[in-house]
Amino acid sequence: MTSISKALRNAARRRDLIVSYSLALILLVVSGLITSSGLQPNRILTIFGQNAPLGVAAIGQTFVLLSGGLDLSVGPVINLSNVVASEVMDGQNGRIPLAVAASLLAAALVGLINGVLVAKAKINPLLTTLAVATVVQGVYFAYTGGQPTGSIAPAFRVVSNGRIGVIPWSFIAWLLLWAITAFLLYRTVFGRRFYAAGANERAAWISGISSSWYIVSAYVASAVCAGLAGLLLSSYIGRASIGVGDPYTLISIAAVVIGGTAFTGGVGGLAGTFAGVVVMVFIATILSTLNIPAAAQFVAQGVVIASMMLLYNRLGR
Amino acid sequence: MSGSTLHNLRATVPIWAFTALLILVAALLSPPFRTLTNVTALLSLAAPLIIVATGQAVIILMAGIDLSVGSVMSLATALAASYATFGGSAPVNTILILVVGATIGALNGLGVIAGVHPLIMTLSTYIAVRGVALFVLPSPGGEVSGGLLQFVTLQVGVVPVFFIVAVAIAVVVWYATAESTWGRRLYAVGSNATNADKSGVNRKAVILVGFIVSGLLASVAGLALVGRLYSGDPLAGDPYTLNSITAVVLGGVALTGGRGSIIGVLAGALLVGSIGNVLNMFGVSSAYQFIATGLILIVALYAYNVGVFRRDRSAASAHLNTGGGR
Repeated sequence: MTSISKALRNAARRRDLIVSYSLALILLVVSGLITSSGLQPNRILTIFGQNAPLGVAAIGQTFVLLSGGLDLSVGPVINLSNVVASEVMDGQNGRIPLAVAASLLAAALVGLINGVLVAKAKINPLLTTLAVATVVQGVYFAYTGGQPTGSIAPAFRVVSNGRIGVIPWSFIAWLLLWAITAFLLYRTVFGRRFYAAGANERAAWISGISSSWYIVSAYVASAVCAGLAGLLLSSYIGRASIGVGDPYTLISIAAVVIGGTAFTGGVGGLAGTFAGVVVMVFIATILSTLNIPAAAQFVAQGVVIASMMLLYNRLGR
Repeated sequence: MSGSTLHNLRATVPIWAFTALLILVAALLSPPFRTLTNVTALLSLAAPLIIVATGQAVIILMAGIDLSVGSVMSLATALAASYATFGGSAPVNTILILVVGATIGALNGLGVIAGVHPLIMTLSTYIAVRGVALFVLPSPGGEVSGGLLQFVTLQVGVVPVFFIVAVAIAVVVWYATAESTWGRRLYAVGSNATNADKSGVNRKAVILVGFIVSGLLASVAGLALVGRLYSGDPLAGDPYTLNSITAVVLGGVALTGGRGSIIGVLAGALLVGSIGNVLNMFGVSSAYQFIATGLILIVALYAYNVGVFRRDRSAASAHLNTGGGR
């Protein structure tokens, strides 16, 4: 019985992936056809590098959706990481390790609070992460007085403008993180148990998995990913800018669900998330290349998300 | 009044007590808070939130959620501020705004019926409608028709007329949800969709009507917002999405559906609407207001969860349970 249902689920998952990767590929090709510099690898790789923050944030959001929740604090945590990195680094190369550690620690702490409130205090994830996000906003406003100072050290900006061969550092960081987390999720006992806890917390608990700690780990992973995304973004903008992370909350959720991860928990995975990010990125690229106003870009994004979800339902998921 | 209505009303006592206490303490301790100007400001601040939270409550009672309401409110203000293009006169413009709100609600409902998770369906419309609002009115401003502006800024003494309208809407919708057949079906869908199906409730119709009500009320809330802005703003409605959900949950409606009363939501909306004002009056800087609001929300949610207010303990749920497939 279980092997049959598992096989069916795998088949459904593949169909999901076929749809999301096809759409990603189509959008990528279209974005190439509409300009003269078009499909030059250099241009495509630059776009991937610039959007590494979204890619990284979406990895974390995937873990939370797989756990049956939702993380609305992604944007504010990106802002927090950006502000802390800039203040601590203060433009000095020697302070980079300290600043990176401080940003990631601050982010992890937020994730831990989210996770404990959701898994242990049993507060709804939407409201928990909303309330915690509000507190985080207050914290960085209080910390900076609304006027963040400091700047990103020159050596750290290599992440955004340096390349290994032709590939931007930030894209490598994104791919590396994706590979590590995908390995954890698909090939380890941790991953198996994580899926089990997300699909049915109680059933997993009965079979001896301490479900709630797996759920806590999802929120910590999401916050650390958001912290990393904040660092990548900081490398691009070179300073602290409150609010720079705000759009990432909803777009990361959109990318994850376009990648075929369900809100019900335990269904989907990181394989699709990569395609989801590419879809979101290239819709934006195409529309801005065509000089279509931001207003129409929002409409297009909304329509694509809704139609993809309708399509997935038709596919029997 | 039926027994379940009374039961649901009794559960709203703590939130009313807490809201009343907060306002009483603020009035006693802060002279600027108790001025008539501030009363007017407070009530006109609360009006849009009460209206949009009432619609949100209808959705949450059936275990759904509506993230699109903020954008619908923004679009309503944008359309009102471009009345010359959209409608030409105040009445036509107003009707158009209401029709647009109801239509967006209907789209949400149809998507959810087709099996899209309400969160994702309304997230899509939230993003798309934001685009439409920015298209109608790219930046804050515009000109609202004289007739509409006159109506939305009308006052009886210190009380804005739209506050009375807001309370009236909340009471009417409360009565419909608590006492009508439609309301009973709404609660039935929210507490157990499968059982509702088996007992012959047309779940699709209930869901569709619910989302239309929410979209319609969001556009009315947008009109109330025009009364505060005196113009349009393509992003002004944004905070109301999450504020309306907060007001509903603080009002004692469980996100898992089927439990709670819109009378509680009225108190929840007054509370959420006045926290900022109260903290302002005590000179709390905006940074610490964020922290205080977040902490109040966490404490209140935890209190509901562990049953401090003696609500059903099974209301506690760590996960979204919104019925739909996704």
